[in-house]
Amino acid sequence: MTSECSAMKVRRMHAGELAGAELEQAQEHVRACAKCAATEREIEAEREVLLREVPFPQLAAGVAEKLAQKQRRPASRWMAPLALAAGVLLAVSGALVLRPADTDRVRSKGGAPAQVFVQDASGVHLLAGPVAEGAHLRVSLHAAGSRHVTVTLVEPGEISTLYSGPGIEGPLPSAFEWTGRGRATLRVDADGDVQEIPLQR
Amino acid sequence: MTAKGLRLVQGGLPKDSPSSPSGLLAELYEKHAAAVYGRCRWLLRDPDEARDALQDVFVKVLQSMGEFRGAASPTTWILRIATHHCLNVLRARRAQWRDEIRELSKEKRHETESPDRREMVRAVLAAAPDEAQEVAVLYFVDELTQQEIAAELGRSLPTVRKRLREFLACGRQMLGVEVASDDF
Repeated sequence: MTSECSAMKVRRMHAGELAGAELEQAQEHVRACAKCAATEREIEAEREVLLREVPFPQLAAGVAEKLAQKQRRPASRWMAPLALAAGVLLAVSGALVLRPADTDRVRSKGGAPAQVFVQDASGVHLLAGPVAEGAHLRVSLHAAGSRHVTVTLVEPGEISTLYSGPGIEGPLPSAFEWTGRGRATLRVDADGDVQEIPLQR
Repeated sequence: MTAKGLRLVQGGLPKDSPSSPSGLLAELYEKHAAAVYGRCRWLLRDPDEARDALQDVFVKVLQSMGEFRGAASPTTWILRIATHHCLNVLRARRAQWRDEIRELSKEKRHETESPDRREMVRAVLAAAPDEAQEVAVLYFVDELTQQEIAAELGRSLPTVRKRLREFLACGRQMLGVEVASDDF
């Protein structure tokens, strides 16, 4: 086995870790080496499997949940900046006045039902359709029987934890404004029962 | 990666920057998730466990970003983390692993063609000493040279060779076949 011909070198090349003469040498080698070409095909196949079995939103939500679990442990000093970056919302806004609604609960699969209220120019109403620019959103849970609930906002390249704590009945303490474009997903995980609520703009 | 996001209605925290952990998560996914998931699937043999392991590995990376960024090869570093994590999972259910090896061992003896080397390596891992396991994966799967492994693990070259010999001895004993190697 030589250092010119190794699966790891091909992987490093794909990850953009090689440069200059080393990159050129590796590219030239891979073009002429059947074994390394097979490794390239394997890398492509791995990527297809990943995209099919673990799309980014799913991974991001899982990582956010594990980070949130670690955050609940007091000894996790390193968590402070991570929690900050994950967008853990602690402020109590009180900006929204919620009207009770007993219909039109949004659920895409089993698990705790959640409702999303929107406050925009037309007032406060249940989420139905695209989210207007500047609209305030607030999630209301019906998860009093759940031991732990996590609510995350999952966007391409971003994951924010809105709530992580015991199951509650009623609105979360914080409202938020979704500043993204395109599509996002509000993911509610109540003791492993997952509900996904699509947002679009 | 497009920065999108979230803003608090009142008060709150600064918006994530592209270099924040959540932005880094997207970068990690793009560059490394496929290889890590592939490694976890190969070792754990269970998509659900592999998914869980992938999350655990990424959490570990986010916890050790300085080390990750400072590594001579982040790809090598993150695959080592993945391998180490999965080996620990496998050690925790070693009994089940041994049953699987016994079955594989029977199958391999009936095969006429040479079994895939990586499958052989995976099967032997359970029986190998802990320190030999990682060396074996780096050598047989990642195809690092013995010198590269010594540098990566901070071990001497004779130690790396000794671990590989231990691993191969386990292979012979466990399966009754040789694990193919160019250098032994």
